[in-house]
Amino acid sequence: MNLDWSIIPASAGALAQGALITIALTVLTMAIAVPCGIVVALLRESRFTPVAFLATCFVELFRNLPIILVVYWAFYVMPVVLDLSFSPFVTGLVALCLNNTAYNSETFRSGIRSIRKGQTEAALAMGMSEGEAFRKIVLPQAWRRVLPVLATTWVTLFKDTSLVSVIAVGDLAHTAMQIRSQTFRVIEMLTAMAAIYWLLGYPQAKLADWIHKKFGVTE
Amino acid sequence: MDFNFEPVLESWRFLADGLRITVLLSLSVAACSLIFGTLVALARRYGPKWLRAVLIFYIDSMRAIPVLVVLVWFYFAFPIATGINLPPFLSALVALSLNLTAYVAEIVRAGIESVRPGQVRAGLALGMSMPQIVRKIILPQAFVRMMPALGNVLTLTVKDTAIATVIAVPELMRRADAVAAQTYAPVEVFTTVMFLYFCVIFPITRGVDMVYKRISFLGRS
Repeated sequence: MNLDWSIIPASAGALAQGALITIALTVLTMAIAVPCGIVVALLRESRFTPVAFLATCFVELFRNLPIILVVYWAFYVMPVVLDLSFSPFVTGLVALCLNNTAYNSETFRSGIRSIRKGQTEAALAMGMSEGEAFRKIVLPQAWRRVLPVLATTWVTLFKDTSLVSVIAVGDLAHTAMQIRSQTFRVIEMLTAMAAIYWLLGYPQAKLADWIHKKFGVTE
Repeated sequence: MDFNFEPVLESWRFLADGLRITVLLSLSVAACSLIFGTLVALARRYGPKWLRAVLIFYIDSMRAIPVLVVLVWFYFAFPIATGINLPPFLSALVALSLNLTAYVAEIVRAGIESVRPGQVRAGLALGMSMPQIVRKIILPQAFVRMMPALGNVLTLTVKDTAIATVIAVPELMRRADAVAAQTYAPVEVFTTVMFLYFCVIFPITRGVDMVYKRISFLGRS
């Protein structure tokens, strides 16, 4: 077996671009899915039952589906049913956002619920409106509690971005697989792909551990 | 817009067989990762120092690398590197187990650490050996406490088997893709498959919750 590692430096530019797209997907998804998650969490707690029911359906549906299926669905079905057609990148982004919004909403819901009722009542007694009480009293406290969970979600999301490669988004996995099939340097390319993911993911996993230690709530 | 579910109905056997393979793969992966995950956690906790370092490196690496990458590497690169050719199903079994073992090991470790050290000392004072204490005192309590997390891993397993489609394991996702491509009815096919996956995963999530509520008292100390 002869290995030719010179393919890695030769395709460093393409790989770097793929890695950038992977990172961009992670950051954008989280930037969209966190606010959406908070909104869905609030809708689930809504006093208006149909709204709460619909929000629950949304969360339960996307929490119980494989992401790769959601990606396929967003690619093949969404353009037909909703009459929306996006570039592969945006399609992948939509799929990841749908999935992560569901997860984040559960995270935020438990975070919001962990803040005692007395806090909201005290805020209302001080003359704050409900919106103010939520924004100024509940959310800042809940935020700190959900941070470790969000960190874990972040690491999971970073790994899950690799799944959008099946719809030809030019992320790291797709780029590496493509170079593999063009050059037939299978071992070199796939090992390089794994190594790059490792180099990017390992510090994030460690950082998540640190956040867990620092902010984790122990009972 | 009209929907035509005929292609789905016509190939229902093909899809049902895919579902069978999905379930089979999920159960095999779950069993393997539960066994090996427990062993890894125990080795990490009670094993020699060098082994501990190796296992921590393995666990953290698996937490950092996407499942897709492990799957693809195992299917395409591993046979060339070693000369061992595995069929897609076995490759998926090995790769997914390799990945999920790390997660189970972390859960089992947390479970073991949640049992107070006083219990180990009490066991030692009663004249039990360390393996006896692990088997009779620590693991029974730890497993009850780990149930919700292990239930999560089980749903994660079913979801991860869908990724095995990229290495052509003929499971539900792969077959859905094939039927959708042949019949030009992606909307109906993918929606049906979505429903099928939901029907498999949702009861697991709920079932684990329900069982845990029933038996959670067993884990109290």
